[in-house]
Amino acid sequence: MDYTSQNQNDKKQMLETIGINDTYELFNVIPSHLRAKDLNISCGKTEQELLNYFSKIASKNKKLVSFRGAGIYDHFSPSLISEIIGRSEFWTAYTPYQAEASQGTLQAIFEYQSLICTLTGLDISNASLYDGATAVAEAALLALRVSGKNKILISSALHPDYIQTVKTYLENSKTKIELIPLSEKGNIEKNIAETFIDEDTATVIIQSPNYFGIVEDMDVLSSLAKSKNSLFADVVNPLSLGIFKAPGEYNADIAVGEGQVLGSPMSAGGTTFGFMVVRKGLEWKMPGRIVGQTIDKDGKRGFVLTLQSREQHIRREKATSNICTNASLNALAACVFLSGWGNEGFYNLSQINISKARYAFEKIKSLDGFKAKFDKRIFFNEFVIETSKDIKKINKILLKNNILGPLDLSTAGDSFGKCLLFCVTEQRTETEIDNLVEFLAKA
Amino acid sequence: MEKLLNELSSQCKPAYSVKCDVEINAEIPENLKRKSNLGLPNVAENDLLRHFTNLSRRNYALSTVFYPLGSCTMKYNPLINERIAKIDAFNDIHPYQPVESMQGVLEIVYELEKDLCEIVGMDSFSLQQAAGAHGEFAGLLVIAKYFKSIKQKRTKIIVPDSAHGTNPASITFAGFEIVPLKSEADGSISLEKLKEVLIPEVAAMMLTVPNTLGVFEKNITEISKLVHDNGSLLYYDGANLNAVMGIVRPGDMGFDVMHINLHKTFSTPHGGGGPGSGPIGVKSFLGSFLPVPRIEKRKNKYVLNYRKSKSIGKMKAFFGNFSVILKAYVYVKALGGKGLKNVSKQAVLNANYMLAKFKDKINVPAGSRCMHEFVLSPKAILENDVRTLDVAKRLLDYGYYAPTVYFPLIVDEAIMIEPTETESKDTLDKFIDVVNKIILEEAIEDPQKLKNAPVNTPVTRLNEVEAARKPILKWQ
Amino acid sequence: MNIPQDLLYTKTHEWVKVEENKVKIGITDFAQHEITDVVHVELPEVGRGIKKEQPAAVVESVKSAFDIYAPVSGKIVEVNDKVLGSPELVNSSPYENGYLFVIEVSDEKELNDLLKADDYKNLI
Repeated sequence: MDYTSQNQNDKKQMLETIGINDTYELFNVIPSHLRAKDLNISCGKTEQELLNYFSKIASKNKKLVSFRGAGIYDHFSPSLISEIIGRSEFWTAYTPYQAEASQGTLQAIFEYQSLICTLTGLDISNASLYDGATAVAEAALLALRVSGKNKILISSALHPDYIQTVKTYLENSKTKIELIPLSEKGNIEKNIAETFIDEDTATVIIQSPNYFGIVEDMDVLSSLAKSKNSLFADVVNPLSLGIFKAPGEYNADIAVGEGQVLGSPMSAGGTTFGFMVVRKGLEWKMPGRIVGQTIDKDGKRGFVLTLQSREQHIRREKATSNICTNASLNALAACVFLSGWGNEGFYNLSQINISKARYAFEKIKSLDGFKAKFDKRIFFNEFVIETSKDIKKINKILLKNNILGPLDLSTAGDSFGKCLLFCVTEQRTETEIDNLVEFLAKA
Repeated sequence: MEKLLNELSSQCKPAYSVKCDVEINAEIPENLKRKSNLGLPNVAENDLLRHFTNLSRRNYALSTVFYPLGSCTMKYNPLINERIAKIDAFNDIHPYQPVESMQGVLEIVYELEKDLCEIVGMDSFSLQQAAGAHGEFAGLLVIAKYFKSIKQKRTKIIVPDSAHGTNPASITFAGFEIVPLKSEADGSISLEKLKEVLIPEVAAMMLTVPNTLGVFEKNITEISKLVHDNGSLLYYDGANLNAVMGIVRPGDMGFDVMHINLHKTFSTPHGGGGPGSGPIGVKSFLGSFLPVPRIEKRKNKYVLNYRKSKSIGKMKAFFGNFSVILKAYVYVKALGGKGLKNVSKQAVLNANYMLAKFKDKINVPAGSRCMHEFVLSPKAILENDVRTLDVAKRLLDYGYYAPTVYFPLIVDEAIMIEPTETESKDTLDKFIDVVNKIILEEAIEDPQKLKNAPVNTPVTRLNEVEAARKPILKWQ
Repeated sequence: MNIPQDLLYTKTHEWVKVEENKVKIGITDFAQHEITDVVHVELPEVGRGIKKEQPAAVVESVKSAFDIYAPVSGKIVEVNDKVLGSPELVNSSPYENGYLFVIEVSDEKELNDLLKADDYKNLI
């Protein structure tokens, strides 16, 4: 199968029009010693064969009841999302450069930007970035660009993949990257951060809830950043903003994060999308596509890609970023997701995540051999438990019973040697949680 | 006009709800609580379905029109790809699941890496990058790390002026300096000019083959020799790979590093601007610099290896845009080696057929033969202040998406057309007639028609100047 | 095309108005016409030192961005904030309200390198 549609007669006519006898003549310009041998890839399959073949491969994956998060979360996806992102008018469209022929995508992104702005309480959102990790890296670059400073300060409780991505992005620059160590209470303390921040700090990047689930006191950390004229960039879980303080409320300059929780499946970690939203004044320094509202010749409202002179296709080597692709379809899913809850419903969704995680936390920490690593802390849907039992054995038993157990944190540093990162979302039922607790008790 | 969500918002019962089945007191201290209004709309499911369905109908898409968009390879996106990507056992997999519970995921990534190596003649691939530009960036970081490892200070990258904008942007993004190289009128490289800029500080040269005018670089062997004799590396921008699959392999042409756009050549959809996937391939001496984790096969089991001391690190979280990778792999399995070769043959035949029909009527700056795409420059014909942009907008009225315009920058009033292999002769013929009609008849007889275009779209021409001068970037 | 006689010019289409030891700088009528509708302007920081022919500002249209170079070396002593909020001034009044910045000249000899109105006219 190759999806071409020309028959022999068409081909003959086309060759005649060109004035050649064989398609191969069109490749005469390629030096003959460079010509490829036949590709060693098995011959093509029919649609039916493909379905069988890939169903078999799919069966080598195990769909599990997940108590694991760490950046990707199992959340409920309303039926409307698959219906809308499944519309071929959306998924087979190109980037909306020809605005008049792309009003659907453009308005949807404009709505997405509006929803992200109201959710975070900040002024200007772009049309989305690749994922949470790259969004943090872009935030760091934005801050370096705006401030002309040379150092960035990052919470050590930022997702380790994100920290690594920032380091990779800045590998070939002269930027100094410093990590603020975690306090014994599992959060970033102002008095520790204070000893790292200086006048050359372009930005302070804090994740909340942090990698260990704990909600940070962002007011205090934001003020600290401001006191040194550093931009405050936060990495937030957008679902938590139904309850927890919004970036706009603690004067963040930049908010970024992973958007998967807003209606994208886990898909082994991709595709997802990153969001970025900034306070007014930073829009011309922002990376990525942005949609704006305008009017057409007849005065009708319409939407276009705007502030484009920031971007690579115009400014080339002087662009704010090399980014071109966004994650439009995932942003569309987020738009559909955010538009159907209403304020109360969204608050409720946030609250259920907290309640279920709290329910599991209380039960697990009172088991013999398990205790809370950071007690009396506020968390969203993740928490750390320390155990005297064999972590590998626990997860093996759970896996056998189709449960994806907590993440083994032993690689997160010496103090986490016997620690587990649990995640409970609104998807987990009381029965599933009780079931998990029973397995742990027996382990 | 389609209302905005905030205008649709009412006192209705919102579309979604969830219930809590546990009882617990989970109080949040006041200082951490949100005080400001969430500002989310209240819309019923019925109305949301209509709203988004109506929005979708305000789009041109591959599923409704021909998209002759040069440089973007808007080929048919097979439905089987989408169907397979929706299988629960691919979708509902957590990236940190134990490897034994996600062998299917790892198999797909590993096997596609292998197939891509075969298709382009490279030794290793990383599928972690989320887009073409992301791939360029990763490739350049690999080059930087390589020279660091052999303790050579090389700070410059050569890039021709006919390159895509992402090339120069990625070069500065990766911390290199640009050495611009003026291309010839057909976008090709002059060996003499290349020699002048090949100074010892040059780490690499980035090249798009065929180039952005659709011309194969006939001196590629000499270019490769010159670049390598200088101790520099050669980077292949895979944007135009659709022209040469199974015909000639970048690795055999002497390229050391390259990226591929799975959302172009391997038929995964563009999704209205993404998500994409930008795998990078390298020759064996660069393999150890690729991002982690690497997927390896040990005793018939796929495992993740994070321990690669020379690696550039991570380009994004986890392993890449798996759902895009999956669709591309389905495509490769659907076509097989022969099918892929046929793709390029047909893509090049289609483009040359169109070019043959245009070449006596409209100026073609790169000559009468091309690879998978070609560029028209109607500047000499257009009068009455009619511009290429007007031609593009008028095409929308005839139910076509517009070709790429004003690119490459080295061609005046450029119109860049890439038909791809999946369009029928009938579609091409009709399109050719319409383009000829617009440029050769309408533009001369009724220029105002072009200036006023489009009129058959959901909105008429939009005021981009005001949009940028007084930006409105969210609901008012 | 309006090319005032009393100004000096550069090959890169900046105009220069000498006012004692300071020079006022903007882009020419020709340049604003070529750039088309200006949608955004980036100005240098006041107090910043600058060398001749270094990029000092950026003038942007919907589809392009142009660097504006310092015609002489010196220090930026004033910028025209009005063009930030109303970039259209660069189009409507390139020589008056749409000026960009003022440099305090460090080496007056550099002024001799600039073009007279007639030379500039011949150039375009």
